Amino acid sequence: MERRRSFPDVLAGGIFVLIGGAFVVGALGYELGTPLRMGPGAFPLLVGVAVAALGLAIVIKGLIAGEVASFGPIPWRAVVVIVLAILFFGFTIRGLGFVPTSAITALLTTLASSRVRLLTAVAVAAGLTVASTLIFVVGLQLRIPLWGPWLGF
Amino acid sequence: MELLNNLVLGFSTALLVENVLYCFVGVLLGTAVGVLPGIGPTATVAMLLPITFSFEPVTALIMLAGIYYGAQYGGSTTAILINLPGESSAAVTALDGHEMARQGRAGAALAVAAIGSFIAGTVATVALAVAAPPLARVALQFGPADYFSLVLLGLIVSITLARGSALKALAMIALGVLLGTVGQDIYTGTPRFVFEQRELYGGINFVSLAVGMFGVAEILRNLENEQNRATVISKVTNLWPTREDRRRTVGPILRGTGLGSALGVLPGGGHVLASFTSYAVEKRISKRQQEFGHGAIEGVAGPESANNAAAQTSFIPLLTLGLPAHPVMALMVGAFIVHGITPGPNVITDEPALFWGLIASMWIGNVLLVLLNLPLIGLWVRMLRIPYQVLFPMIILFAAIGTYSVGFNAYDVYAIAFFGILGYVLIKCGCEPAPLLLGFVLGPLLEENLRRALIISRGDPSVFLTRPISAVLLTLTVAALVVAVLPTIRKRREVVFAEED
Amino acid sequence: MRTSSRYRAAARMIAAIGVVSLAAACSGNGGATGGGGTGGYPDQNITFVVPFSAGGPTDTVTRMIAEPMAAKLGAKIVVQNVEGAGGTVGAGEVARAKPDGYTVLMHHIGMSTAPSLYKDLGYKPLEDFATIGLVTEVPMTVVARKDFAPKTLQELVTYVKANAGKVTLANAGIGAASHLCGLLFQSAAGVKLQEVPYEGTGPALTDLVGGQVDFMCDQTTNTSGQISAGGVKAYAVTTPERVKSLPDVPTTTEAGLPKLQVSVWHGLYVPAGTPQDVVQKLSEALKAALADQKVIDQMAKLGTAPVPATAATPQAHRAKLEEQMGTWSKVIADSGVKVS
Repeated sequence: MERRRSFPDVLAGGIFVLIGGAFVVGALGYELGTPLRMGPGAFPLLVGVAVAALGLAIVIKGLIAGEVASFGPIPWRAVVVIVLAILFFGFTIRGLGFVPTSAITALLTTLASSRVRLLTAVAVAAGLTVASTLIFVVGLQLRIPLWGPWLGF
Repeated sequence: MELLNNLVLGFSTALLVENVLYCFVGVLLGTAVGVLPGIGPTATVAMLLPITFSFEPVTALIMLAGIYYGAQYGGSTTAILINLPGESSAAVTALDGHEMARQGRAGAALAVAAIGSFIAGTVATVALAVAAPPLARVALQFGPADYFSLVLLGLIVSITLARGSALKALAMIALGVLLGTVGQDIYTGTPRFVFEQRELYGGINFVSLAVGMFGVAEILRNLENEQNRATVISKVTNLWPTREDRRRTVGPILRGTGLGSALGVLPGGGHVLASFTSYAVEKRISKRQQEFGHGAIEGVAGPESANNAAAQTSFIPLLTLGLPAHPVMALMVGAFIVHGITPGPNVITDEPALFWGLIASMWIGNVLLVLLNLPLIGLWVRMLRIPYQVLFPMIILFAAIGTYSVGFNAYDVYAIAFFGILGYVLIKCGCEPAPLLLGFVLGPLLEENLRRALIISRGDPSVFLTRPISAVLLTLTVAALVVAVLPTIRKRREVVFAEED
Repeated sequence: MRTSSRYRAAARMIAAIGVVSLAAACSGNGGATGGGGTGGYPDQNITFVVPFSAGGPTDTVTRMIAEPMAAKLGAKIVVQNVEGAGGTVGAGEVARAKPDGYTVLMHHIGMSTAPSLYKDLGYKPLEDFATIGLVTEVPMTVVARKDFAPKTLQELVTYVKANAGKVTLANAGIGAASHLCGLLFQSAAGVKLQEVPYEGTGPALTDLVGGQVDFMCDQTTNTSGQISAGGVKAYAVTTPERVKSLPDVPTTTEAGLPKLQVSVWHGLYVPAGTPQDVVQKLSEALKAALADQKVIDQMAKLGTAPVPATAATPQAHRAKLEEQMGTWSKVIADSGVKVS
């Protein structure tokens, strides 16, 4: 069996170590309790250590006998745009109201694809806004104002 | 004989025109709402619950039950078509179901899911009618220590959900368990890992996690090499399962039905384990293990049957003892109360028409579900032809709205973005999301029952070995762990990173 | 062109979903009513925020009174569940809402205990809310697994004192009514017990029926079915009078533990600063709803009853809230529980 280093494996292991470690640090801030009455920190501490240990094992394995050869391309435009769109939705849904927020979120998301033309994007966004208003507000009686207080009317 | 009389009573109630009509409306609405990305069965039932308040008790409960299994069916459809599970069992269906859809076999996957669910529903209904009270008594024998061992077994079993490295699967499970600890600790009320945000006290929303790890991550992967790929889904070949498919699914459906029926009875969350225990069993005994995760039809048939059987038998503790087995059943308790029926062991004797009518209606509901969904398959499959530039914004927008509409909590929406990125990176590193999702669902049960068992035993850990049920389950857990890890030690496991060519 | 047919397929799909949802909306319009609104308030839908999950006892009570109240007010009432952190998320939301009478909060006893349980609540019950009126007081019952040794409440007190380390007391989570009642029991009986919290009443009751834990104290709504079927054993109800649906169960006073007096009282609130005439209109509507025979019948089945008309007033409600905040701050401080 050939030995090979794998960057993705090491990265994955690193993520586990990082998250596990963060939870361990956090858990130490809570009461650990006794075996009879385990405190809120005990279980996350235990599992956090397990995650970090497994992460370490993955890192080591990735250094001597990696599994995933390459990370592959990253669609940076899509990553940025989609994250922005979702955050925008959460941030403005209360303030702007259902219709403007849905429309802008849809438009932003559509632009994640590098092949999209602006006209298509606008058409898709408009269609999706109408459809989601019909389904969620008219159909499911979702209690979100169509036009939010930020718009001043 | 008594059973026959009871069934006659049940069917004469359930077959009233009004009841059949509302059973159908329930199934239809459940499917329609459950199919929306970002809305799982629990949310669907909670949303549609008020509709039922204005009906007669029997009618209302029949409709509500219809909404519930309709929603589950709708959820599976979304999982298969766009890889977006609304609850943990659908995450299992998505593994092979969506893979089948990518290979142009969405029709077969949907049909097998429908038929498997129907068979499972029929068998489970019979089980309910014949043996509900004794089954419920058995279920009550399970104490916190036993549930801890059962959940631990479930977690180890879910390693098999991954097609790649067992080590990474184990790490993903543990990470899921860890994420499950976010939020208020039920024992002390201490908010954990919430960064002072009251919105996080309720913990991370399952749907946000699933939409992020599955939906967003999948979309990002699809957008990676847009230039080279016109459509994501290859040509739809045949809409219906082939003879070969039918032959391969008989066993999984029957085994799944049995497993699901048994696990569904346990009030402490057994139904959660149904679908992936079935998946694990099928993968373990299959001669084509390498096909699992790459569109094995058994991987859809087994779990879907198990899930539907469990959904049905999880009514047993509710109907015979008045004890809800999971959140949807707790909503049903609310519905009982609104209609002036005190949930409890007396329902079966005080309201025989309601009890047997509801059971009979479940079977009718299953028939209606098949009749409704088989013709719809063509429509669903056509949905896959929607150009991706329309489909993925639709998924993101609907998922955001759906997730938000459940608790009006903006953090649930932010969580989609966070887990989308985390999921995308982890998937690219060869870590699969399904085990994480199951760890997330089972983690809180694990902690809760561990701590509860220790309080009740006054801190004596030997309780896990001295209680017979727990001891048996722990032995099985050790065996499962050995079986899962051994191949990795003996030989390098199949190292396939699902890169399409 | 192929693409256009695909778009059409998409449109058809979306339209189909829309139509189905429309059907849902139509069948869901049960709450809408005619009734003559006399100009001014209310001229739009009123939202009742329930800070607990749909289908729970508080949600149930809310939906019972929402319909007759809507009829009286001549406006549609929409019930919205904003869950989280023992009801404090929903309450905080209403505290910050516009004080126009269109956002109303239904809360229970937890309104009076939250300030003692939570450090940074973000709102003050007495200052940030105006009271509308009390709705109902649900009695609680002390129940045990059916093979638990003590036969009466007196015996239970003696037994738990003698076996304090062994006896397990279940509850439905920190801040839940069953937790509060358990605290009061321990303080009334002068004993400290091993508490076993659960996530909600359902699982707690399951383990009690299954004999995994010894006893608990919970609302009759949840326990009466099990009591009359013999799934659990009842020692007492925690109100001054016996409960109609459980005629054989003595009161705590009769059974010799008079200090154990607790009921899960529910009340309606609006944000402080809501105009006085709006508060008055809501209070009148509440009174009318509580006199509705259908509401009385539904509540009777839950083992409870509407409060008398004199208690469905802003003044009586405020007095109750003040009194309860005093009581619970002592009990909770003594028990040493602090959530955050």
